[in-house]
Amino acid sequence: MPIVLDKLTHIYQQGGPVATTAIEGIDLVIDDGELLALIGHTGSGKSTLAQHLNGLMKPTSGRVLLDGRDINAKGEDTRRLRFQVGLVFQYPEHQLFEETVYKDIAFGPKNMGLSSEEIDERVRGAMDMVGLPFEEIQGRSPFEVSGGQMRRIALAGVLAMRPRVLVLDEPTAGLDPRARDLLLQDIQRLHKEGTTVVMISHAMDDVARLATRIAVLEKGRLVMEGPPEVVFGRFEELTRMGLDVPQGCQLARRLREIGGPQIPDCYLLESLADSLAAFLKGGGGDAA
Amino acid sequence: MTDNAHLVCDQLTYRYEPEAMPAVKDISLVIPRGQFTAILGHNGSGKSTLAKLLNGLFLPSEGHVTVSGMDTREEKHTWDIRQAAGMVFQNPDNQLVATRVYDDVAFGLENIGVPTQEMPPRIDEALKLTGMSEYADRPPHLLSGGQKQRVAIAGILAMQPEALILDEATAMLDPQGRKEVFDTVARLNREQGITVVWITHFMEEAARAQRVMVMDHGAMAMDGTPREIFSRVEEVKALRLDVPPMTKLAHMLIARGIQAAGDVLAVEEMAREVIRLCPSCWIN
Repeated sequence: MPIVLDKLTHIYQQGGPVATTAIEGIDLVIDDGELLALIGHTGSGKSTLAQHLNGLMKPTSGRVLLDGRDINAKGEDTRRLRFQVGLVFQYPEHQLFEETVYKDIAFGPKNMGLSSEEIDERVRGAMDMVGLPFEEIQGRSPFEVSGGQMRRIALAGVLAMRPRVLVLDEPTAGLDPRARDLLLQDIQRLHKEGTTVVMISHAMDDVARLATRIAVLEKGRLVMEGPPEVVFGRFEELTRMGLDVPQGCQLARRLREIGGPQIPDCYLLESLADSLAAFLKGGGGDAA
Repeated sequence: MTDNAHLVCDQLTYRYEPEAMPAVKDISLVIPRGQFTAILGHNGSGKSTLAKLLNGLFLPSEGHVTVSGMDTREEKHTWDIRQAAGMVFQNPDNQLVATRVYDDVAFGLENIGVPTQEMPPRIDEALKLTGMSEYADRPPHLLSGGQKQRVAIAGILAMQPEALILDEATAMLDPQGRKEVFDTVARLNREQGITVVWITHFMEEAARAQRVMVMDHGAMAMDGTPREIFSRVEEVKALRLDVPPMTKLAHMLIARGIQAAGDVLAVEEMAREVIRLCPSCWIN
């Protein structure tokens, strides 16, 4: 079930005196099973793009196709289509509101009109997927657990709707390293189990480790897209856009300037260490 | 205790409730005047509690905190201490109150009763020091996250503090905003001699501090220079923290039989280290 963005454009307050083009002419196909990282400077249009993927925002022009069907078309069962794309906002824990963790996670499935048995199964399943102990916290207030747990409750609320595509807007922002790693493990596992993931992130070292493909937005336009080694290879352009490059690639580039080896997967520290160790042991000649 | 001791904790313990487990447990430390200290620790390790104890927002359950020799427990010092050790919090949107940047910076001064005629020069200076002068007339809500945090810092600077305590002030910012705020604070430390306590989850920020303290379960688990702390990779990991990528790489090289130094922190430094390891490997 690929998602196809076809000349997607969104203009805020179109026609008004302060009309702002947030995204413009985006053509992008998101294939089944990929983990696409969406990167770009603040204000580049990442969040706007993300909110089009499940119909939360409507394009000013252009289309969003899911399985070939326009999710904003009249006559389509748009509601059912949109349930297949789960969107997790920035700081999603700010949107927790129910009395108990259980009720909060059950909110989405309930809206889908599922039976209470089905809802129960989904709440348990979703909590399990993000490593939340059901018996221990299902009855607690979502406001009295840790920040990392709140984030995972919010994620579970979306997962309980069993989306085939998961869209995450800066999922690890503000988390401590431990909570961040746990959350990234959850995301990686969901991806391995077949969920398509679109992840907005500023954390390039996380992007480098997880993404199968990276799309770069600048001023509302899609300016670059490809696997990590290709995108991070375009070091100068990313830097010019004010984006970070994984430190491994900064190092590899610095060393290449003075005759070091080509290390295309410099964004993975393990590979970088392998290549560098081989290069140094070989006295500089043999870097492979 | 030395003369230049600025922020001092002496067997400091803090409990939120009388019977509760201590959130801060028997901490003794001296932060000298003008030092840039980073505090690391996972959520719930006691970092934020310690920060609030350092400027008298919380008072010790046991032990003492002194700021420039003033004991936070003595009520007569409360306002002097809060003015001398200003705090910046995580969420920039919760800290700004006025409709104009200038008025926001003035707000704190009004609160502490600074005479009106003395306010403009102090506000101008604070805006200048944070690089926000040209935004004086702008509404704060239209600024970027990094700019908002700089306004929050300006509001504190106007009160002419001797110490800044920043509790994850960059956690909600993008990389550019983070750099903006960190660089501003680093400059204030360097040029104005302001003591800085920088609480963060970002290892690369801690790597740039003069001193790093790591908290765990309310206690001080590690205390040293960034180089000393991060080279103890296994200990840092056991405390559920990370080390900077270049330190990680150095240890991966060591594991592969390369005699790399284990205390490398930054990219340039790592490049020099790799060149040193095999001088003949390179063109020049």
